[in-house]
Formats: sequence, C-alpha cells, structure tokens
Amino acid sequence: MVAASQGVESGVPHGAVLTAFVDACLGPDAAALAHARNAVIAGLGDAAFVDVCATVASFNAVVKIADATGIPLEEAKEARTRDIRAALGIEAFHAP
Amino acid sequence: MTIEINGRQLPARPSLVGAIEDAWQRLAGPGTWWQGAERLAIAEEARAALSCRLCATRKAALSPYAADGRHDGPGVLSREAIEAVHRVRTDPSRITERWVRGLADGALGEERYVELVSVVAIITALDTLDHALGRAIRPLPQPRPGEPTRQRPANAVRDLAWVATVAPDAIPAGELNPYSVHGDKNIHRALGLVPQEVFNFFDLDVELYLKDHEIRDFAHEYRAISHPQIELIAGRASALNRCYY
Repeated sequence: MVAASQGVESGVPHGAVLTAFVDACLGPDAAALAHARNAVIAGLGDAAFVDVCATVASFNAVVKIADATGIPLEEAKEARTRDIRAALGIEAFHAP
Repeated sequence: MTIEINGRQLPARPSLVGAIEDAWQRLAGPGTWWQGAERLAIAEEARAALSCRLCATRKAALSPYAADGRHDGPGVLSREAIEAVHRVRTDPSRITERWVRGLADGALGEERYVELVSVVAIITALDTLDHALGRAIRPLPQPRPGEPTRQRPANAVRDLAWVATVAPDAIPAGELNPYSVHGDKNIHRALGLVPQEVFNFFDLDVELYLKDHEIRDFAHEYRAISHPQIELIAGRASALNRCYY
C-alpha cells in the first residue's frame, strides 16, 4: 500500500517527503511540521508546496462528509477494492 | 497570483485563491437552514473542538460513548449542534448510523445536520490549508444578515446514506440541481439534501484537489504535483483520518 506508513517505499517521486509532510500536518508536533514543510519546499519547489498543502486540506475535510453521512462506496469502487478489503477483514468493523 | 506566507510570496493558481475567498464569504452568509451568524458559530465551535477536553478524552477511549460531559467551546449553539460539530470535527471515523439518526431525527433535524457537516468540512479545509502552509489561522469574517431559504428538495429520500439524499434522476424541473457542476458521485450526493452545500463545499474542494474529470485524466497534469503524488497525499490523509470511504 502506498499510503501505509513512513519508511515504506511508495515508488512515487518524493513519496517519503510527502508522506512525512502529511503526517506532520495532521499530527501535534509543530517542529516536525516546520521541518517537513522545509523538506517539501526544498525538494519540490514553492508551487508544488502550495498544491501539496491544498491536497492535504481537501482530504482532511472531505473524509468528514463521508464519515458523517454514511455514504457507501460506489459499486465500481467497491468491486475494485473487494480483494484488498477481504484480505484486511475490514468489513468486520462495520458499525451499526 | 501569489499567496503570502509570513512575508514570503508563493505562487498560487488564481482559481485556488478565488475559491478560498469565496468559501470564506459563503461561510458568513445565510445558508439554507442556518443564518450566517449561526454558520460562523458552527465554524468557531469546530475550531474549539480541537482543544476540547471531552473530545480528547473520547478520542483516547476505546469507545467515544465511554465519556460524558460538556464540550469546551463558545457554547452558542444548541447542545445537539455542539455535540455534532465536535464529533464531526474530532472523531468522524467512529460516527455510527445510530448516532446520526439520533441527531437527524431529533431536535437538530436532518437538513440542519447536513448543512452543519458541510460547514465543519469547509472550515476544516480552510484551516488545514493555512496550518499546512504555515499561516496563522484566519479570523472568522463578520456574519451577513439574511434568512435561510429552508427549501428541502422535493424528492429527497433516505435510501443511500444515513441521511436523505437526492438521486440525480429525481430532481424536478425548476429545482436546483446540485450535481450540475461537480458530478454525482456518492460523495457529492452526501450533501444533496442541502443542494447549495454541494456547491459551497465542492467549489472549494475541486481547487484544493481536482475536478471530477481531472482525477482520472492521467494524460494531463493539472497541478504542480503529479497524479501519483496527489493520490499518495490523499491516501495518506484519508488513512490517518481512518476514513472508510
């Protein structure tokens, strides 16, 4: 899984830097965020940094809509992810 | 166009800057079910939730229902609205259908709950962006007067999600079609009970992330980062939020 954890090679250019930045943005450590911010700017540049921040903002927000309304996965998305969800046993965590 | 971060100008897409400013203005104006001042109270309560002791206790507990008490915050809204704002902001992944039904079918009401969710999501997006960029959190704007329209879509039914939604083919002629611009995936339909909120959230979100048709257009890059980089960030943020969808 590309989003599994820090230290796992994603194969995405600057993947480790980006993952560390997301973790720092959504974590409590201000110093870690400042360090991660500098690493993104140094590695990808100013314009990319803005778009990285925007993407984090989007996905820290849209998840709240999904979770708070209980929308299901679309059928096509459900079919594409059936194998990995079965392997994870994630359906066992469905809440009433 | 640029955005200023601590005295430094960073390049930013004009459409992104415009969407951010529009989102701030829309937060302050009357909505469909809440007045402008009430929408800002929701936003202020959402900010307070991040330092709420009850929310922190619940977040650390095996079950969010293990701790009871009063939420820290301005406390301007009703008890039900405050509970909804804090939970959606701080612990959404453990929200259940039973909890939503208790609010939507109770004093808060289904339409007001859906608009509240949208407002919390919008202020979360705006504040997360500033936090990520390294900018100070922006003061909330002044509310604009006006009454909510209180228009419920005619054919909204509870058949897809925990709240009523509107199917794309069930929108009567003359009624606002919330899917006309951004598409009709389930995530759009989630806010369909309050059509204007589909626009209010996704007009901002498509500039933060991507427009619907851009997401799978791998022949073009629409941002200063690539599709794989965007999806890596999206996947990581979703995973940290423990979002099922």
